[in-house]
Amino acid sequence: MRQTINRRDFLKLAGLLPLSLAAPRFMQTSLGKKNVIIIVFDAFSAYNISLYGYSRATTPNIAELAERAIVYNNHYAGGNFTTTGTASLLTGTNPWTHRAFELFGEVAPAVAAHNIFNVFKDHYRLAYTHNLVANVLLKQFRNDIDELIPRELLLLGSYGSFVQTLFGNDEDIASVGWTRNIKLEETGYAYSLFLSQLYQPLQDNLVKNIRSQFPRGIPTANYDDGFVLGQGIDWISERLIAAPQPFLGYFHFLPPHSPYRTTLEFYKKFNNDGFEPAEKPLSVFSQKQDKHDLLRRRTEYDEYILHVDKEFGRMYNDLESSGLLENTILVLTSDHGELQERGISGHITATLYEPVIRIPLLIFEPGRKTRLDINTTTSAIDILPTLLHLTDQAIPDWAEGAILPPFAPIVQDPDRKIYVMRAHKNKHDQPIATSASITMMKEQYKIHYYMNYPDLEKNGQNELISLFDVQTDPEELVDLSISHKKIANALLEELKTKLAEENKPFL
Amino acid sequence: MTLPRSNGNYYHRQGLLSLFLMCAFPLHFWTLLLAFRDISWVIERTNVWDAIGVASYGMIYAFIESLLVFIVASLLGLLISRSWSVERRVALLSVFTLVISLWAMVSQLYFLWEVSLPDSILQALAHNAHPVRTMYMTLLTLTATTFVIPAYFVLQSDKGLKVMRDLVERITLLSMFYIFLSFVGLVIVMIRNV
Repeated sequence: MRQTINRRDFLKLAGLLPLSLAAPRFMQTSLGKKNVIIIVFDAFSAYNISLYGYSRATTPNIAELAERAIVYNNHYAGGNFTTTGTASLLTGTNPWTHRAFELFGEVAPAVAAHNIFNVFKDHYRLAYTHNLVANVLLKQFRNDIDELIPRELLLLGSYGSFVQTLFGNDEDIASVGWTRNIKLEETGYAYSLFLSQLYQPLQDNLVKNIRSQFPRGIPTANYDDGFVLGQGIDWISERLIAAPQPFLGYFHFLPPHSPYRTTLEFYKKFNNDGFEPAEKPLSVFSQKQDKHDLLRRRTEYDEYILHVDKEFGRMYNDLESSGLLENTILVLTSDHGELQERGISGHITATLYEPVIRIPLLIFEPGRKTRLDINTTTSAIDILPTLLHLTDQAIPDWAEGAILPPFAPIVQDPDRKIYVMRAHKNKHDQPIATSASITMMKEQYKIHYYMNYPDLEKNGQNELISLFDVQTDPEELVDLSISHKKIANALLEELKTKLAEENKPFL
Repeated sequence: MTLPRSNGNYYHRQGLLSLFLMCAFPLHFWTLLLAFRDISWVIERTNVWDAIGVASYGMIYAFIESLLVFIVASLLGLLISRSWSVERRVALLSVFTLVISLWAMVSQLYFLWEVSLPDSILQALAHNAHPVRTMYMTLLTLTATTFVIPAYFVLQSDKGLKVMRDLVERITLLSMFYIFLSFVGLVIVMIRNV
C-alpha cells in the first residue's frame, strides 16, 4: 500500500522544512542517544490479543516479534477512553493529576508542561495521530513538539477537509457538526436534507479505488472521510528513516477502534469459527446489547486486530531493514481497551473491567534477541520515566510512574497501587465528585468503585463497589466484596483516602 | 379580495424574500429537530457547550443550504411563464420546495425510525426484473403526484392561491425566527473559534 507523495502532501511537508533544517543541531548535541518510537493503536485490548492468551489467533505477527521483546502481561491504561488514557501515557501522571477528564479535554493548564515531549528536549520530537481526541492533547503540547504532523495529512482526501482549516480552533466540534450535517452513511439521516444526498456519491467517487479493499466500508477516524492504515504506516516509516536523530516519535493510529472495518484479506476470517465467549452477568451499566450482537461485534473487532497486527509487522520489518532499530527503543501499546461483554460494546461505558483497561505493552530494545515476560502489574504512567531512564535522562519530580522492570534499578514496591479512572463529567478545576469510576489494583486484588451515576441512583444507591482477585479470576466473574468484606473495606478506605487527598486542592 | 395580476416581472423583492424564507423553513426545521435529538448524545460524551456548538454549526450549514436551494428554486422560477403573477410563481415554487423537502425528510425518517418496507412489497420488488428502476419510478410518481395536486390548485384556483399565500405568511414568520437562530449559531461559532 505504498503511495508516492502527492502535491498536497508536498506542500504540507514544505511547511515543515525549517524544522528539518534544524536537524544538524540534534545530530551534534545528542550524538549517541537512542531514538524512541511509541506506537499506539487506539482501543487495543490485551484481552483480545492472542499473544496474551486469547483463543483466537488475532496477532500472529506481533507474537512472532514478541520473541525479541519485553512483554508486559499485566499492563493497564490510565483511563478507559482516549483523553484520559492518552494523557496518562503522555504525562506519566495519574488522571487526578493531569485532570484530562472530559472527551476532547486537555490536561490542566497548570501541569501542561509536564509531558513527554517537554522532557525529551535533546531529541527531535515528532507526533501524529488519526484520532481527533488525542490530537487535542498533541495540539496542547505543540510548543514542545518539533514536528506535529497535520492530522489530515494521513487521512483520505475529502470534500469536508475545509472544516479543519476554517475552524482550526474548534476542529473537534466543528468536525462533529459537519459529520452530523452532511454524512448519511453512518446512520442514514443527517441535518442536511439535500446536500447530504449529493455529498456521499461525490465522496465515494473520490475513494472508489480503495473502496473494494474494505468490505465493511473505509475506516474512519472521528467524523472524517477515512484513512488507510497501511498508507499512514508507510508514510511514518519513511519519515522516521529520514528524521534527524536522536528522535522521539509518538504515533497514535486509530485502528482497531470502532468502526471495525478490516480489509478484504481478513474479512470474515473468524466467521462461524465456533468461538464461545465466557458467559458473564449483565452489568448495572449494561447497554442492553444482546449476546449475538456482542459476538458479531467482537468478531469484527478481532478481524480488525488482524489488520493492525499485519501493519505493525510490516512497519517493524521496514524499520528493521532500514537499520533504524539498531539504535531505537520501540514501544507498542494502546490508550485503552475495548469491551464486548456484560451487555456492553465498545468503551463508552462507566465500567472498568479488564478488557477495557488492560492493554498491550511491548518494548523492543536494540540488541534484544529473546523474549522476556514481565508479570508485575504496570501502568501507562510508567512509560515516561522508563524511557527517560533508557535514554540516560533525568526523571522529573512530577512523574508519578515507576521505571519498569527489568530496567528498574530497585525492586518494585510490593505495596504499589495502580489506578485507572473515568471521570468524564468532572471539570479539571473542581474536585472529582460526579459520575466517576475508579479502579485500584494492589497485589492480586482489584477494587472497582463507581460513584454518583444516574444508573446507580435509579436503584437507590450512590456508589457501587466490587472486588476481584484478578490473578485467580481474570475474567472478573466472582465478586469478593461480600465474602472478603474486610479486604474490600480496607482497599476502599485506601482508595477514598487517596481520592480525598487528590480532591483537597480543589475544594 | 382581488389577486394581483402579472406586471411582466419574474420576481419582486418581497417575493424573493418570501421564497427564501420558504426554502429556509424545512431545512432549519429538520436541522433543529435532529440537533435536539443529538443534544443528549453529545452532552453524554462531552458537555452542554459542545452540544450547543454542534447545533450551531448545523444551523450555519442549514442557512448556507437554504441559500443554495433558494438559488435553484428561483432559477427554476425563470422557466415559468412571465404571464403569471409573482405571487403565483412564488406560491408554486414554495409548494415545490415544501414537497421535495417533505420527501427528503421521509427518506431519512425511514432510517431514523428504523422502519422497513412490508414484506409483500420487498417480495414484489425482489421478483421484479428491474427492482431499482421500479422503485425509483414509484418514488418519482409519488413525488410528482404530491406536487402536481397542490400545484394545480395554486395555479387554477384563486382560493387555492389564497390558502397558499396564508400558509407562506405564517411559515415565513417562523422561518425568520429560524434565521435569527442561525445568526445566534454564527455568533457561537465565532466565539468558539476565537
